[in-house]
Amino acid sequence: MQKIIEKKELNNFVKSLMKNYEVIAPVKRKIARFEILKNPEDMYLDEITLVPLKQFFLPENETLFDFKNNKIKKNKTEGRKRIVFGLRKCDLNALLVLDRVMSYPEYIKKRQNTILVGLYCEKPDEFCFCNSMELEEHYDLFFYASGDKYYISIGSKKGALLVRNLDNADKEVKKEIKNFKKLENKNIEKDYSNKKWDEDVEKCLSCSACTVFCPTCNCFDIQDVKELSENSGKRIKTQSSCQLKSFSEVAGGKIFRESRASRFKHFVYHKIVFYNKRFNKYMCVGCGRCLRACPTRIDWVETINSIKSKKGDKK
Amino acid sequence: MTYEPSEAKIISVKKYAEDVKLFKVKTKINPLPGQFFQLSILGIGECPLASCSYNKKYADVLVKNSGSVTNTLFNLKKGDGVFIRGPYGRGYNFKEIEGKNLVLAAGGTGIAPVASLIDYIEQNRKNFGEIKILFGFKDESFILLGDRIERWKKKFDFTLCLDKYAGKLKYEVGLLPDILKKKKINSENTCGVLCGPEIMMKSATAKLNSVGIKNDKIYWNMERRMECAAGSCGRCLIQDLYTCKDGPVFRYDIIKEKLENESAK
Repeated sequence: MQKIIEKKELNNFVKSLMKNYEVIAPVKRKIARFEILKNPEDMYLDEITLVPLKQFFLPENETLFDFKNNKIKKNKTEGRKRIVFGLRKCDLNALLVLDRVMSYPEYIKKRQNTILVGLYCEKPDEFCFCNSMELEEHYDLFFYASGDKYYISIGSKKGALLVRNLDNADKEVKKEIKNFKKLENKNIEKDYSNKKWDEDVEKCLSCSACTVFCPTCNCFDIQDVKELSENSGKRIKTQSSCQLKSFSEVAGGKIFRESRASRFKHFVYHKIVFYNKRFNKYMCVGCGRCLRACPTRIDWVETINSIKSKKGDKK
Repeated sequence: MTYEPSEAKIISVKKYAEDVKLFKVKTKINPLPGQFFQLSILGIGECPLASCSYNKKYADVLVKNSGSVTNTLFNLKKGDGVFIRGPYGRGYNFKEIEGKNLVLAAGGTGIAPVASLIDYIEQNRKNFGEIKILFGFKDESFILLGDRIERWKKKFDFTLCLDKYAGKLKYEVGLLPDILKKKKINSENTCGVLCGPEIMMKSATAKLNSVGIKNDKIYWNMERRMECAAGSCGRCLIQDLYTCKDGPVFRYDIIKEKLENESAK
């Protein structure tokens, strides 16, 4: 059964959560992004954030351990309890995508300590195509707006505890997201060398904006950072991108994805084909952030749509 | 999976060439032939390497000085500590190669995983058929594991190829794939095991194909920059395959098209 809350009571509800949890929610600065809330009034729920949530699970730089005098000092992973409020269906599914590949303790701890509260997407824009990506229902709580109320679906015990004091709903409100855009074909494995890609490759600057804004892009390097004056330092995990030439470089200087074409296609194929072969799920969640962030307005979704596959859709 | 390594002591260091040394490192990680581990120096970083021996007591790390970690490693001596985590990945698939004749061809420091396999073959000789080994080096001053090669020469059909050599008789002179072309190879029930630069493995594969050894009987040992070794960081992806988990030893029929796609202009 769903719970209900008056829309005007939402800020008070969030405020009450902030007593016991660190609450992360979308805010609007120059662009919409997730931040640790200081005031519930800062929340901005009208549009999808351009910056994805991933930095709160995969920080740009993250210490794996410290060392001094050639001895490792174990890094204590912080166990702060967190709630993320206002996640779209695409954002929630992006975490499922990461869960299948991220296995190091710092990530797992952050996931376990975080309660996920979703919000129905009222206004998908021209870049959204989440309905094409076979997304799952995955949340602790999920809010549907209807009239002057939110109807709240409960997805876990942790979620149920947060809303135990709210009234039960008299009816059930569930809505399907409306998309304007569609990815019509995912069976593109044999189209890797298709000429249709050439125009996108020509426009690509290898700037890596698509991978920075993608909520499921997680590629990283492991590096040592040394204190200059002392015999100490730390080993860090630092975000990287397959669009950078150096990403496929090995000792001696050989680069395995030398061409811009091979790097651009690696991004698209990883999202639609490569990850799917391993996990039978798509790595792309259809949020459209790569399309919004692209400085040369590459629309690989339309490129795929223009590739007519004889065999039709895979699934 | 944690990325935290354990300390391991260097037992001995031996110099084989101007830029190649063999570090014997005490560790119980016992990688299978073809598997790899991450060797690191705190403050410098990690690099993926394979042992060139197969045993439970130590790893033999044959290192070419070609990056920041190996450069620092070159200054270390007996008794110094390094850090190791592993073993990782899939090495040689014994289900597929035992009971077969093998052609082993490797060049430069690429001989390391193949040397570990030869160790295994020596310890389990009856599990294998005819063994033909070809090792290629630039010139006489770059011959690696010379002491063990002398031993293998007595046990196996062993050919040492040098790209350049002024003398006669002692070695075969020329690029390894060209020398492989001159060899008589029995293709029946035979597998090829290759490790070296991709261009070398490609022409060696062409030769093996020409005598009737198909791509699903040929194994390539791939070099990629494995960072996490857990299938997370994405650095070693060959399209959908992680070199760190699915490899580094791959059957060539499985990766051929993927490699061609990635290297396309």
